[in-house]
Amino acid sequence: MTGAVGIEYTRVRELRGPLLFVEGVSGVGWDEFATIVLDSGGRRHGLVLEVDRDVAVVQVLEDTAGMNRTGTRVAFSGTPLRIPVGAGWLGRVCDGRGEPADGGPPVLGGSYAEVGGAPINPVRREPPDEAVLTGVGAVDVLTTLVRGQKLPVFSAAGLPHLELAVQIAAQATCAGEPFAVVFAGMGLTHADAAFVREGLAARSAARELVLFVNTADDPVIERLLTPRLALTVAEHLAFTEGRHVLVVMTDMTAYAEALREVSAARGEIPARRAYPGYLYSDLASLYERCGRIRGRPGSVTVLPVLTMPAGDITHPVPDLTGYITEGQIVLSAEVQAAGTHPPVDPLASLSRLMRKGTGAGRTRADHPAVAAQLIAALARSRQVRELADLIGRSALSPTDLRHLDLEEAFRHRFLAQGTDENRSLDDSLDRAWEVLLTLPRSQLGMLPAGLLDAHAPPRDQEAR
Amino acid sequence: MTAPLDALSPVRAALLRAARASADAVRDRAQADAEETLRSARATAEAVLARARDLGRADGAAEAARERVRAAQDAWAAELAARAEVYAALRTAVHAGVRRRFTEDASVGSLSAEAARKLLGPQARVTAAPAGGVTAEVPGRRVDLSADALADRALDRLGVRAETLWEPA
Repeated sequence: MTGAVGIEYTRVRELRGPLLFVEGVSGVGWDEFATIVLDSGGRRHGLVLEVDRDVAVVQVLEDTAGMNRTGTRVAFSGTPLRIPVGAGWLGRVCDGRGEPADGGPPVLGGSYAEVGGAPINPVRREPPDEAVLTGVGAVDVLTTLVRGQKLPVFSAAGLPHLELAVQIAAQATCAGEPFAVVFAGMGLTHADAAFVREGLAARSAARELVLFVNTADDPVIERLLTPRLALTVAEHLAFTEGRHVLVVMTDMTAYAEALREVSAARGEIPARRAYPGYLYSDLASLYERCGRIRGRPGSVTVLPVLTMPAGDITHPVPDLTGYITEGQIVLSAEVQAAGTHPPVDPLASLSRLMRKGTGAGRTRADHPAVAAQLIAALARSRQVRELADLIGRSALSPTDLRHLDLEEAFRHRFLAQGTDENRSLDDSLDRAWEVLLTLPRSQLGMLPAGLLDAHAPPRDQEAR
Repeated sequence: MTAPLDALSPVRAALLRAARASADAVRDRAQADAEETLRSARATAEAVLARARDLGRADGAAEAARERVRAAQDAWAAELAARAEVYAALRTAVHAGVRRRFTEDASVGSLSAEAARKLLGPQARVTAAPAGGVTAEVPGRRVDLSADALADRALDRLGVRAETLWEPA
């Protein structure tokens, strides 16, 4: 962080929640970064939220607990918060403010970048068209993540979204091209933080990971900064250093709650469920930082994870996220109850960009058709299951019964995967074929005959 | 007179033959059974051994991979700790250097006082800092030009150049 300190202002008018009101200031602008020196000599950091004549409102990142009105000094840096950027971040573990938590020196960089970021010029955006393979079959085959995409995971309390996020962060690759993961944990418990560090140890040791961890007991206001730091570091690694970067941000609901808390402290008018009215634009200012830029190497792919309070998909956080992002991976309590990991609900999940990133020359020629056919067959299986609940299994036709078998095979042969099992795309697609061939050829109308001939037994054998 | 032939001897002989043949058959069967049991036991043992070998190899590979990651992590942690130590040493040296400059050259102190007055105005109350340099104050505003504060700012400005301390030449 920039260290230029000029005049310090000492007239603190009020301390309220995470906010500090300092008067007598001049030449201070909105969003400026401030360094606050306490009476005890301790240092804290803040951002200017508002300036009215000679009064500046500073949000203190470490909270105002233990601060005194007298003896507190505030120095403004003259610029918004900037952090050093560069490859020096790789392999580092930091807290939610970017301060080292791994016993190393401060992270240094050849240049500085504003954490607020700058939106990518829409004209210079390159459409995403290559896949990021996660090693998780359900994601790679059915909701393929494409470089430059923003694809959220919608989960609920008690579901293993953190395990899935860590598994994806640990396994993801980009066809041998330079790759890095930036993991931003927000509001994590200490047990979760330890789990994340342990799960990503190999990637960290390989200097392919930057880990930001904001724990649940860290000041809430720091949580607003964590995803911005992660994205700033990722943008530089991608667009300047030419890496494909996957940014995993979890849990965005904790982030939105932090936003609500700060907004309430600022006395803003609450909107839906007391979240501020600008929740949508705030989330968009994060999610829209992903993408690819024409003429520049690398890409930033964003995988935000959010928990839906009470499993409510219409809650403002998933609702507004869904407006911005390009699909979603939905985790289901029902699948989890059946003992399957990862508990992905294939029919509620969707990657809007997957058609552009899959198929011949990208993943495998049969991939789009297999994915479409599998989803169609699963939809039919669900209908059959509902029908069986009504009229009984004995009243189902043989084809309907095969659809029930398909659902079983899907859960056990395709979806179920160990948390440390890195499944290749070929293996996942072969398993998808195995599941599909539970059905007779007549039910696989979305697969081209050539593909069927290559994978399915001939018709006469099938009849036997 | 010849001794009367035992009328039962053919029967006895036939029975004996049949008994012997049956005993032979039973013995052959038992032998075959024993051989089969032995063969199947050997095959099972071999399969169990092969599976144990595979599991052991997989366990060993997983443990070796874990060990490799742990070793890489430990090495990286040690390197980071060493870097932090070197950086702290640099910080101490920069602090000492700036303090020394203030002690050796009195004009630096008066230059700082002058700079402080320029920033806050001539009415500023200038106080000498314990480790060299000055702090100056007017109601509501303050400037810290103490040796330590100046040293910290200089170190911040050094930025990535500090990495030459641990980067290979």
